[in-house]
Amino acid sequence: MTLDTAVNLTSGMMAAAFIQQSLEHLRPAVRLQERLLFVPRLLLSVLLLAASLGIHLPGIGPSLLALALVVNHLFILSFFNGPYNGGADRMSLLVLLCLTCTFNLSNPAWQELAFGYLGIQLLLSYLIAGWVKIKNPDWRSGKALRDVFLFSAYPAGENIRKWADRPRILFGAGWAVMIFELAFPLTFLSAPTLIAGLAIAALFHGANACLFGLNRFFWIWICAYPSILWLQERVMTAAVRPPLG
Amino acid sequence: MDYAVLSAPKSVAEHWQEFRPRPAVLKPATTLRRMLWNPQWNENLFLVSLAERLMTVTTAETDAHSERELLLRVARHLDRHEAFDAGSYLQIRLRFVSRSGPDHAVTSQIAYLSGAHLMAGLITR
Repeated sequence: MTLDTAVNLTSGMMAAAFIQQSLEHLRPAVRLQERLLFVPRLLLSVLLLAASLGIHLPGIGPSLLALALVVNHLFILSFFNGPYNGGADRMSLLVLLCLTCTFNLSNPAWQELAFGYLGIQLLLSYLIAGWVKIKNPDWRSGKALRDVFLFSAYPAGENIRKWADRPRILFGAGWAVMIFELAFPLTFLSAPTLIAGLAIAALFHGANACLFGLNRFFWIWICAYPSILWLQERVMTAAVRPPLG
Repeated sequence: MDYAVLSAPKSVAEHWQEFRPRPAVLKPATTLRRMLWNPQWNENLFLVSLAERLMTVTTAETDAHSERELLLRVARHLDRHEAFDAGSYLQIRLRFVSRSGPDHAVTSQIAYLSGAHLMAGLITR
């Protein structure tokens, strides 16, 4: 995958995810002040999606649109006094900032660095999450995951809370998550293993979306997948390329 | 989070109600729909974040913002979904559930109780 293809794919996916997020803030139940922040975000995201689909917008390129989205995001952060949707918002900002740098830097090496940073952060997001969990005795014993289902604010329905009555399944699920997250960097060694790893990770995010209502995490995390696929190919190509001269 | 609607600012809240209790059964069709359209639940997650910010030692400005947002969002929801007197007062409380004691029993404790706020002053357009 070329850098241009990966950047364009990430840009289009992120714009679609931002459209979905923005629409949720534009329903009548939302205060006017909040809606006014998301109208420009929706419009800018629609234009960015159009640009990534190859539609020519006179005088408005993706670099300008991404910069405008960053400025808009700063106002949104101020309004909510931080992220609205925790990690999903942080990932949204990370994807946006990496893309903005890639679009606006003129040196190809710096462009690669900015976009590669997103891929590295994605890899670390799984590794560090696994490391934090496995260090915690409650995660190793299965108690932490049981408590998530039993009394945390996250289960999206009372029927989902009943999973707390299945400690063996949750013990196995907890260890499966920890092992997968810790082993994720190993999938980087080849394209097929990375694709398989990302497919499993997407299923994991999908399960979180269904059980805990974290739909924004699902959409924004997969936006970063092209960056790691490009980075893997870029690193492996550099590793096998014979030195010049 | 629980809320109570009071007739006077000095009244003692007796009838606390859980704000937006989760459905007893979340059907697969609803789950799938929520992949694309999940605004109320995402707002609930923001309320959890606000509650956590209130319980964390931060700044007076952060505390004021968190309390104001919690009250505004509860009042707006009640305004749209339930009939009440705009001259009534809204009070909220935060319940934190955790394991405690030697037997690690699950217990619930009131971690925060707001003052009573005039509902009419909280409903903004």
